[in-house]
Amino acid sequence: MGEILLKVKDLNKAFGKVVTARDLNFEIEAGVLTSIIGPNGAGKSTLINVLTGLLPLDSGHILFKGEDITGLPTYQRVRRGLCRSFQVVNVFPELSVFENVEIPVLAQMKKAGHIFRPVVKEKAVAQQVMEILERTNLAGEAAVIASALSHGDQRLLEVGIALAAKPSLLFLDEPTAGMNPVERVDILKHIRRISASGETTFVIVEHDMDIVFSLSDRVMVLNRGDIICDGGPDHVKGDKQVRECYLGEEVVA
Amino acid sequence: MSTKATYAIYLGIIAGLAALGLLGDRFMVYMGMRVMLLAIFALGYNLLLGRTGLLSFGHGALYACGSYSMALVNLHLTQDPLLGILAGVAMAALFSLIVGFFCVRNTEIYFAMLTLAFGMMIFSLIWNLREITGGDDGLVGISRGSVFGLPIVKDGQFYFLVLFFFGLTLWLVHRIRSSAFGLVLAGIRENHQRTSFAGIPVKRYRLAAFVVSGMFAGLAGSLGAMLQYNTDPFSAHWSHSAEPVLVSLIGGLQTFSGPLAGSVVFVVLREIIERYTQNWMLWFGIILLAIIMGLRGGVMGGLEKRLRQRAATRKGGE
Repeated sequence: MGEILLKVKDLNKAFGKVVTARDLNFEIEAGVLTSIIGPNGAGKSTLINVLTGLLPLDSGHILFKGEDITGLPTYQRVRRGLCRSFQVVNVFPELSVFENVEIPVLAQMKKAGHIFRPVVKEKAVAQQVMEILERTNLAGEAAVIASALSHGDQRLLEVGIALAAKPSLLFLDEPTAGMNPVERVDILKHIRRISASGETTFVIVEHDMDIVFSLSDRVMVLNRGDIICDGGPDHVKGDKQVRECYLGEEVVA
Repeated sequence: MSTKATYAIYLGIIAGLAALGLLGDRFMVYMGMRVMLLAIFALGYNLLLGRTGLLSFGHGALYACGSYSMALVNLHLTQDPLLGILAGVAMAALFSLIVGFFCVRNTEIYFAMLTLAFGMMIFSLIWNLREITGGDDGLVGISRGSVFGLPIVKDGQFYFLVLFFFGLTLWLVHRIRSSAFGLVLAGIRENHQRTSFAGIPVKRYRLAAFVVSGMFAGLAGSLGAMLQYNTDPFSAHWSHSAEPVLVSLIGGLQTFSGPLAGSVVFVVLREIIERYTQNWMLWFGIILLAIIMGLRGGVMGGLEKRLRQRAATRKGGE
């Protein structure tokens, strides 16, 4: 059993009458690659938004590494090691790939506030940036403007930016959305490799069942704000309720 | 362009301006100072607009903070010009801190409108507090005194003080733009949400950019008061904040040298047009339209693109 990274207590969130989280209680353990799945509108993205501070919650508590982070602004959560990537490409479009990763590295190394020192002189930062670009297979594209990258590479860059903050817990919101099959296999390979290196625990929010069952150690199924099933991939695959609400829907579709 | 080449170009510009100060006639010297003052204002302003992506209509008021603080110190406390300028910059910093504190909570049009509101408040304070600010007359009778025993009373002497601060501004803004802080500001412009997910307190950085650019406005304002020997209440008006916007647009928003080139075009064009017609704004508007629509990225941005294209075709031809 690893250390408990994230603990969610009695979390509630509703938009008017639409409940997107109802008394949610769960824990995320270090080193366990967890997936959160559920049909459209199950509350997956809202849950990430609440956990990372983009949206306020209605009630409940979020504990990260034992510390209550419920009211903290986003950047404070990131500094404590909780980060995310986005469902749609969300990079710095007019900056180079290198600079895209450099911003979170500067923040992480507490050098972002240096106002007179040329940033090119920050050798330790540059080294760290290149390391991350190598891990995400983008080292060859360092000087390219981000908006000129292919969609798949932009998604990889997205993960690279998130990794650069050195998170101990990283939410990936549909990391394969809009990718072609080749890119999809590629990014999964990278995620698995980075996850195996052990510095970062991934929580993947996904729509695609193949990905989820091939990649995860643990699967949580969300439906209309409730966790309806939680366990290993095989356990979830065999669960009747899950088949009804989610797999059934896929079969019908 | 390499850093050394950049520095060489700017040293060349400074040397050229120094030559103008030594050899030019009174009119040229006066125009040179007008250009440099506007460039200081615009270079600082563009840290906020071009870099951070925030449009402020409150910088006219910050310019006036510099002017009036400088004038008040000069008239009531000491005629030391450096202390007066220091007071101008410090007061502009204080006001930008207060105004910015409220404004950086919002972005885009809301930010712009809030700065406009604060700018109008400061303008009406200056207009109505007659006993302190001289109301619609402004403060008159500023004396330039001397710096370290060197007199700067004549325009030909004062010119070199302006040149010094112009050079200082060039250097400072260049350093800020190439610093980690400068990169983070560009990140905020590109994607502020992602910047906060990089672990950066975005509002605090916006505020810092606002204060830094406000200080350059204050510097330009205090030098402007010394140049004219008086202060102008209309310098606090929000419409005065449009000047650095226009200058940056003419020169090129995303370039460092843009505000510089824009200032030259702005001051010189205005002077030329005013000789022929009362309606300088009409003609200036038409020229502006041509520059903005014809040269995306401004004079310097357009020039850069042209040079790059030429280099590319040359390479292709070989």
